[in-house]
Amino acid sequence: MKDVLEEATEIWFGPQHVSAHGWAAKLTLVGDYIVECDPNAGYFHRSAEKCLEFRDFRQGALIMERLCMLEAFLAEYPYVSAVEKIAGIDVPDRAKIMRTIMMEASRIHSLQFWWGQFAAELGLFTMLLWPWVDREFFLDAFEELTGSRHAVSYNTPGGVKYDFTDKFLSKLDRAIQRLEERMPKFRDMLLRSPTFKVRTKGIGRFDANQGLRWGISGPNIRACGVPMDLRKDSPDENLTYDMADWEVPTYTNEDHPGESDAYDRMVQRFLEIETSVDIIRQLLPQVPEGEIYERKARGKVNRLPEGEAYGRVEGTRGVTSLYLRTMDKAQTPYRAKIRGPCFNSYYSLKHLVPGNKFADFIVIFGSLDPYPGWWDR
Amino acid sequence: MGFFSTLGDIFRILRHVFRQIFKRPFTYFYPFEDREYPERTRGRHIHVRENCTACKQCVRVCPVVAIRIDVMDQKYNKDAALYFDYTRCIFCGLCVQACRFNALYHTKVVDISAENREDLIYGPDEITTLDREPLEWRGRRFR
Repeated sequence: MKDVLEEATEIWFGPQHVSAHGWAAKLTLVGDYIVECDPNAGYFHRSAEKCLEFRDFRQGALIMERLCMLEAFLAEYPYVSAVEKIAGIDVPDRAKIMRTIMMEASRIHSLQFWWGQFAAELGLFTMLLWPWVDREFFLDAFEELTGSRHAVSYNTPGGVKYDFTDKFLSKLDRAIQRLEERMPKFRDMLLRSPTFKVRTKGIGRFDANQGLRWGISGPNIRACGVPMDLRKDSPDENLTYDMADWEVPTYTNEDHPGESDAYDRMVQRFLEIETSVDIIRQLLPQVPEGEIYERKARGKVNRLPEGEAYGRVEGTRGVTSLYLRTMDKAQTPYRAKIRGPCFNSYYSLKHLVPGNKFADFIVIFGSLDPYPGWWDR
Repeated sequence: MGFFSTLGDIFRILRHVFRQIFKRPFTYFYPFEDREYPERTRGRHIHVRENCTACKQCVRVCPVVAIRIDVMDQKYNKDAALYFDYTRCIFCGLCVQACRFNALYHTKVVDISAENREDLIYGPDEITTLDREPLEWRGRRFR
């Protein structure tokens, strides 16, 4: 009997492909079917961990937010949290709640970006532009608050840098109102579209046990019906998720409970947006008066005592965390180790992709919401 | 699909087309007009040399080493000769926060471009003056 692998062809998907900006996967094809997938990391490497060792504790958050510009408010938080733990800085209540609101707004913005991008990867280019128009309103609000659209540089050890203004609040309100008006329309349009269903249903399916074994977290595992969420499981003392009444969004498909395919992950992310809007709506009236920055922190972050800390946050794509180790009277970290959420979902392609057609590869990849900055630190 | 519904669709499309003809476009006629930038926009810096004490806090806090103060410069002996390297600057705003003497500010000029790399290193004369007023310059409307 002839071995099918004799006729196999190897092709590289990326790193020059339009959809593969900064990553590459080696695919072995027999006909139109993929028999082997070998994801390769390293094309986007910027040695962020080494950079952190040469920046002091005020400057480190700037490196972190550049790892993932889409969720900049979330990405810089683990570093800031770890520095606050080592230095023993108390954050004012007003800053805590402002951080939480901005992180949820950042999550919505990131999910909107992904949603448009994923639709574009399927060839639905109209659905690329509609969510991105709504996303502009969030960017306008970020710009009003911080002065920059993407590289916000908002969190700092000891609080936040910029106070809420009336103009910012009206812009955020306008962005959320527009999202609430238009998102249900687009969601129904997309999820009922026959093209979308054919391309995504049953593609890239894994169950909860497999997902947990591979270390997948965030919306990808919640789409399997696992209510795993750091916001609820281990609430951070410097964030105020407990002040809002909300449930961990999980989606269970009745056809295959405990498993998720690309379609389920799409539905799950719409639920995530709704939850974030709900949290922002509840937290905005509760913002107390007071300071936004602990003044004692200014002296404390110049030199930190010896210690180690682990800062973590539930990012848009999963658990985002950072381990920080300092020596005595240190101006810079001794070691910083970043744990990005996307490394695990990226390497799970090795198991998810074989057996599918070549055209489905980008659907599986896109449905995991990957961001190269998170696996190539 | 009946005759009247088709007619109705045609009229709806025509109404939309006419409305678009007389509407202002969403895009800006860029080099001559621009959108409004918020108060906190982190654009290029301006240096107020009268306030500056050359304490070098901005130099110390800059994460990308974009600022340089030349103490040996004889022309600005008593004041600070500040060189700002816009090929390196990431507009994080730390230098403006670090300045305790109100000597360094962001402006709303966000479109910096030059033909050479050397032109993007703003010397003590360029960083203290705005080559153009952002708001007046942007005031001209073509459409």
